[in-house]
Amino acid sequence: MSGAATTADPIAVRDNRATAIQVALWGSLAIFAVLILFGAFTTDGFLTTTNVKAILSSVAFVGMIAVGTALIMISGNLFSLAVGSTAAACAMSFLALLPDGIVLAIVATIALGAVLGLIQGLLVGGIGANPIIVTIGAASLIQGVALWASSGATLVPPKGDTSYEWLNGHILTIPVPVYILFGAVILLDLLLRRSRFGRQLKLVGENREAARAAGLPTTWIITGAFVLAGVFTAIAGVELGAFNESGSLLIEGNLTYDAIAAAVVGGVAITGGRGTVWQALGGAILIAVISDILLLRDYSEGVQILVKGVIVFAVVILTRLNRMRLES
Amino acid sequence: METRTAQKLLEVRHASKSYGAVRALDDASLELAAGEILGLCGHNGAGKSTLVKILTGQVRPDSGEILMQGEPIEMRNSLQAQSHGLAIVDQELSLAPDLSVEENLFLGNIDLSFLRRPGAIRRRARDLVERIGLDVDPRTPVQRLSIGERQLVEIARLVGRDARVLILDEPTATLSESEIERVFTVARELVREGRSAIFVSHRLDEVLDLCDRVTVLRDGRVVAARSTADIADRQELIKMMIGKELPPPQRSEAVEVAAGSGAVIEALTVPPAVQGFAHEIRGGEIVGLTGQVGSGTSEVLRALAGLEPEARGTLLLDGQPVKLGSPTGALRAGIAFASNDRKAEGLFLEKTVEANLVATRLPALSRLGLVRHRALRETARKLADFVKIDASRLGDTVEHFSGGNQQKVFLGRCLDRGDVKLLILDEPTRGVDVSGRAEIHQLIREAALAGVAVIFASTELDEILELSDVVVTMFGGQIVASLPREQTSAELISADMTMSHGSGKEREAAAPAQEGADR
Repeated sequence: MSGAATTADPIAVRDNRATAIQVALWGSLAIFAVLILFGAFTTDGFLTTTNVKAILSSVAFVGMIAVGTALIMISGNLFSLAVGSTAAACAMSFLALLPDGIVLAIVATIALGAVLGLIQGLLVGGIGANPIIVTIGAASLIQGVALWASSGATLVPPKGDTSYEWLNGHILTIPVPVYILFGAVILLDLLLRRSRFGRQLKLVGENREAARAAGLPTTWIITGAFVLAGVFTAIAGVELGAFNESGSLLIEGNLTYDAIAAAVVGGVAITGGRGTVWQALGGAILIAVISDILLLRDYSEGVQILVKGVIVFAVVILTRLNRMRLES
Repeated sequence: METRTAQKLLEVRHASKSYGAVRALDDASLELAAGEILGLCGHNGAGKSTLVKILTGQVRPDSGEILMQGEPIEMRNSLQAQSHGLAIVDQELSLAPDLSVEENLFLGNIDLSFLRRPGAIRRRARDLVERIGLDVDPRTPVQRLSIGERQLVEIARLVGRDARVLILDEPTATLSESEIERVFTVARELVREGRSAIFVSHRLDEVLDLCDRVTVLRDGRVVAARSTADIADRQELIKMMIGKELPPPQRSEAVEVAAGSGAVIEALTVPPAVQGFAHEIRGGEIVGLTGQVGSGTSEVLRALAGLEPEARGTLLLDGQPVKLGSPTGALRAGIAFASNDRKAEGLFLEKTVEANLVATRLPALSRLGLVRHRALRETARKLADFVKIDASRLGDTVEHFSGGNQQKVFLGRCLDRGDVKLLILDEPTRGVDVSGRAEIHQLIREAALAGVAVIFASTELDEILELSDVVVTMFGGQIVASLPREQTSAELISADMTMSHGSGKEREAAAPAQEGADR
């Protein structure tokens, strides 16, 4: 790129630069793809149905939250840093309500997720508060209330209760949460593409001021995105509660950041307005595939986490390169 | 001009630039002598912006060269352009509003060491501010200045950097008449010092007034480069720009006013910009609102559109009260609003023409919350046809459209006559070329003919006089005069908006028709 900078012909320099960006972009994409494919085909046990199922299972919970996060991202409000806490609190509420019957437990827990989303959505969409600050606050509030209400105890399902076992079951040897995840993705994809709400969500996400001036109900659209994110996070919470058969704040783990990473890696625009729930799911699967390869090859957990960071960085750089390519 | 020499300061030779299949600039050449002001004219899409971007190093031509004092120069970025003495006063000002005038003056000035004593900087700032005839303390934060004053600060900054060629890109679009005069005076003075200027504008009278020569672009090509002394009037210039003569503006003389329809505004107050605004806009009537920047015209329109939460007062639309402060409520009541900032507050730039056109109509185009695609497409096609956008472009993103076409897409959303009762337009033709302007005016008239009440604001007197049935002039947040078009004139309006009536005689002559004035 710099080698040509001294020549007198400015056109050659411009073309060189454009070409350099192109090469960098497609080159890194190719290397990325080759690495994954190479890893996949040369790793013993990768291409087995058992392993594919394991990957899908590992995506089931975080994928659900990533899909909800994608909606918030598309609305132009970054993400909620409270999704992990929401999922943990919902797992706890589900287990706490199980003695009153599983239907009530599920419905009430999903309602709880919706309310938690509603509160954050009203603050962000209604009074224009910064989503990062709001959701940091929300995370603390949720954790505090959950800890206080449970008196710090770990919740477990009632002895002998098997009403929730179907959530851990398999249909055609694939875990139930995987079906729920794909059902959710198909539903939300239709919502985004076909519904009035979905269309308006993308408009608000791209230019909130223009949407407001045009008279779109921006407050309700943004709040809607947060409520939906809350609902799908709550469903993940229910699944997590059933899966772990114990509920405490520890469930949160890295769920929040993993969900955000999945949406970003999948290509949902962090600036809002563009993206699909399929992309968020794709991002979650990509991360899971790479973690799986590393796991099968006996790399330590440290390396697995490190590689996740590398992937996010790579995506950020690729997105930027692509943007530069479009602009030049 | 005595300093004018035959020597060419800046020269562009055979520059071409294509964006994909679009040839934005086609073998364009341009010359600029020292001490000369050159006008650059052409409609949107003619290649002006591309040429300006080439001169400021933001875009590199596919072929051709740029010479400074006969030497070929290379410009790979705006920093390099600056080092060659080329500087632009942009449409969107690049000042930091929170910093003071002097901080802005030396912002990004690489020659100035941080270790210099503040006293020296202040002296230089004072000197610069004085030179451009700006009467402010250099320590004032820029956000407290009017747009016109900011423009002067921007010019001072470039002078401080020793710019030899100042490029003024539509500098007057947001200025009032007196502020424009000030900018022009400064420009003339700088040129007398031996600098040169390129003035890019849609306002042809200003071009003829200010410039020594003018270069006209059409479809990416230079179609004329003439001395302004040889150009009789703006009609002649328009002819060069569009290659044909424009039909004279049409105006339906008899305004069909539907009884009882339209908007009644009473005691509208938007703190601190507007106090006690009251007026009536009958269905079929076009009310033109004018005043200097800061007179409150924009705030009145924004309040009517529900965008000013602090607004108080009443608005009746066809006899029904409309709650102020809710844009959604305004839309439902049948109010359409087009902001003066189509990029920040109008268009969804990365979305398609279709998505932009139907953005406000989704509720009507959905059933049970699901969008009816066929109905949506039909509506978009109808609106595109209405504003004369080629239906084949419905799937294109508006980002790469020219200013005029963007404005048409934006207005297309508001101009459909079916459900709109009150049409509010803030600077409807800002940054739009002559022919686009005529089309947009025609669309606004058609809306009025269909019975829509129209209120628009413009700082261009031509536009006010051409389009309005009633001209309302504001000063300091209040109505100064409200006169039927036949009873007013450019002189009268200018006097009203600067509150500079000699003895007030002209006003008395027009007094009988006044309404709601002098409160």
